[in-house]
Amino acid sequence: MSTVAGITPGGTASANLKTAHEASVFGEAIDYFNEAAANLDLDPNIKRILTHPSRQVIISIPFQRDNGDLDVYTGYRVQYSFARGPAKGGIRYHPGVTLDEVTALAFWMTWKCAVVDLPFGGGKGGVTCDPRVLSDHELERLTRRYAAEIIEIIGPDKDVPAPDIGTNAQTMAWVMDTVSMHMRSHTPGVVTGKPLCIGGSRGRVEATGRGLTIAIQAALEKMGKTLARQRVAVQGFGNVGSVSAKLLAQQGAIIVGVSDQFGGIYDKRGIDVEAAMAYVTAATNEKRTLEGFSGAERITNEELLELPCDILVPAAIEDQLTVENAGRVKAHIIAEGANGPTTPGADGLFSQAGVTIIPDILANAGGVTVSYFEWAQDRMGYYWRESLVNERLEEVLRENFDAVWSLAQQRSVTLRTAAYMLAIRRVVDSLLTRGIYA
Amino acid sequence: MSSTLDRSAVQSSLNVWQMAQRQLDDIASIIGLDASIHAYLREPKRALIVSVPVRMDSGAIKVFEGYRVQHNMARGPAKGGIRFHPDVTIDEVKALAMWMTWKCALVNIPFGGAKGGVICDAKNMSMQELENLTRRFTSEISIIIGPEKDIPAPDVYTTPQIMAWIMDTFSMQKGYSIPGVVTGKPIAIGGSLGRDKATARGCLYVVQEAMKELGLSDGARVAIQGFGNAGLNAAELMLEAGYKIVAVSDSRGGVANTDGLDVQKIVAHKAETGSVVGFSGGEQISNKDVLEYDCDVLIPAALEKVITAENAPRIKAKIIAEAANGPTMPEADEILQERGIMVLPDILANAGGVTVSYFEWVQDLQENFWEEQTVNDRLRIIMVRAFRETLERAKKYNVNMRRGAYAVAVGRVAEATSLRGVYP
Repeated sequence: MSTVAGITPGGTASANLKTAHEASVFGEAIDYFNEAAANLDLDPNIKRILTHPSRQVIISIPFQRDNGDLDVYTGYRVQYSFARGPAKGGIRYHPGVTLDEVTALAFWMTWKCAVVDLPFGGGKGGVTCDPRVLSDHELERLTRRYAAEIIEIIGPDKDVPAPDIGTNAQTMAWVMDTVSMHMRSHTPGVVTGKPLCIGGSRGRVEATGRGLTIAIQAALEKMGKTLARQRVAVQGFGNVGSVSAKLLAQQGAIIVGVSDQFGGIYDKRGIDVEAAMAYVTAATNEKRTLEGFSGAERITNEELLELPCDILVPAAIEDQLTVENAGRVKAHIIAEGANGPTTPGADGLFSQAGVTIIPDILANAGGVTVSYFEWAQDRMGYYWRESLVNERLEEVLRENFDAVWSLAQQRSVTLRTAAYMLAIRRVVDSLLTRGIYA
Repeated sequence: MSSTLDRSAVQSSLNVWQMAQRQLDDIASIIGLDASIHAYLREPKRALIVSVPVRMDSGAIKVFEGYRVQHNMARGPAKGGIRFHPDVTIDEVKALAMWMTWKCALVNIPFGGAKGGVICDAKNMSMQELENLTRRFTSEISIIIGPEKDIPAPDVYTTPQIMAWIMDTFSMQKGYSIPGVVTGKPIAIGGSLGRDKATARGCLYVVQEAMKELGLSDGARVAIQGFGNAGLNAAELMLEAGYKIVAVSDSRGGVANTDGLDVQKIVAHKAETGSVVGFSGGEQISNKDVLEYDCDVLIPAALEKVITAENAPRIKAKIIAEAANGPTMPEADEILQERGIMVLPDILANAGGVTVSYFEWVQDLQENFWEEQTVNDRLRIIMVRAFRETLERAKKYNVNMRRGAYAVAVGRVAEATSLRGVYP
């Protein structure tokens, strides 16, 4: 019998399912899956396939440093499932990247794409490196060699990478160029999150924040409420946090608190989000922080999570809401802008307390949805106006939010479990319809 | 090329992959390898891990895990076996891929190094299950294999039949016959004559060169541990070449006769009883005794780690030719060197297999197949040259033949890597 794949940095070990479960991020991801799978009465054969990544590639990336030295970094690309279409998922540049983490993220991408019904499987990639110490030239050489090494397995019909932590639109442009040069043919559909001028999509930058806003609105409507006068606290003021805060404020919500890695600000009468965004991006603000923003009370990140508010948007990093602080959270809706901000333990407590959690795979799926639009536009070579992108984004998210909501009601489960159930059911339907090539 | 390298090291504190890396480090310091190239060669170019869902005879789907590691491709397409075994790990496959790089470079055939494996209990699977597993695994790795990319071959528990399934699966996917995607195939679909005896024949050729070098006359006495493909064929070929086979053994025990054994009768006895034990034309000895038997040439052709610091002082042979992979422990190596015993290291002594695999690939590319005599003649040229280069390098650096062989191999790969430069 086989094992779940490789677990340590450099991918040197394989642990079996039980060990992986205790030791790894991927094992933890399997937990959520199992909880949802238990409600679905899954065929054990199918379950065996779904708990194994389809393909994992580990590569050496030799590249020249600016001083002439040759460095060799390790890179990964994991393609978890192709059942519903080409794999889809970001590329992460970070010193902590491991095969285990990349596998878990590829696993999540499988469900995220399925829950919003995109014709994609799940993938993820990464390079174990610290992009902050690399020059632009070094990053370019590293990226080009990485792209060249995974060229057999990526492509518009195979696997479509996107930006993630430590990578950006420029990185995607280099990947697109490297692949296009290798193929001797213009191939913009090989990556999404590209700059507009080479086949990016309008609306892509704001897509995750916009999707989050749509999901929150949809949830409020189910409760017979609207966004007007809802008090919102947002943890994280990067792309997702700041755009969500801005759009929620535009819809009449009161943003009572926002924060970044250095701490947060609080004003129960509402923070001027656009002023805060301007403050953070000002040339004089080197750390790009909210620190020193006038007209609001200074609070810590911990305090932000526990502010008196109706809606909490954790949009920073994982594991922020734990069994320790869950009891002090006052919001009755939590919309997960970040991936995995709620620990499994806290998730249970919120469920008991009747707090509605819009789970990450649904709440932040706006990004991958507009990535899908970008890929579709690249394939046809015809580009949409921004209002059309936003309209179609709203349509996709609302339709699938409704499906998740109904399933949760029907089966008396949380939105998270319902989201996984819906996603798993869709992947299984595709698998069974196609049959097993075995 | 069939091998069971250092499986026990996986369980011990010494990780087999770290051991392989340390061996490279050792050679790097001897030959003064450039630090950047050293760092490059220390890691595999690419490791692919695949899930292999297989329909079992019971109707259930089982999901196996499989690997293909390509260590270096600077000198040509990657080359190396695929093993089906329950203890396969990614680290083992990485180590074996690295060793294949060195072995191919040592005999100077235009290949890089690779290895593959599937974690499975092949012994307890039906033919149908093995076929299903092989076909799906091939399909999953088909993106990185091919005659110009990476050419698998048989290894532990993989056979010519399994190579035939790989060839068929790959050919059906591409739409035409591509025999050059694997070697070790049956003759009927593009295998090479002489492939089955190639490892033993290569071993014979390097032993003959070593004899000349040490000024020993033909007709020397040979002891062989292991009576599988390599050991049995070595016994027959060496007898034919005028050597006297004084001891042979298999896992159950051995037989010996200072006047020489009748090899044909032993082969018949083994075919009948399943072992060389009980053969009447010699005295019964243990499998371990064979190693210390009075002889001129010792051929360990069975398992790894059989020559240890404990028994090395008692070995009487003047030449040890490692037909098996890794039969000599590092401490034993030092003792043998001090005692003036010439060890022909595994990457040299058993490289005949991969060399004729190379010939098979060449014949497949040409669709033009050679007489067995041509195969053997060309094998001799390559083995003799590799022996000479190893010896010359061992003398130059004043090291044993093993380090000499690695110095040749690593030097060649480093040269190719550095000449090609860093892409892009």
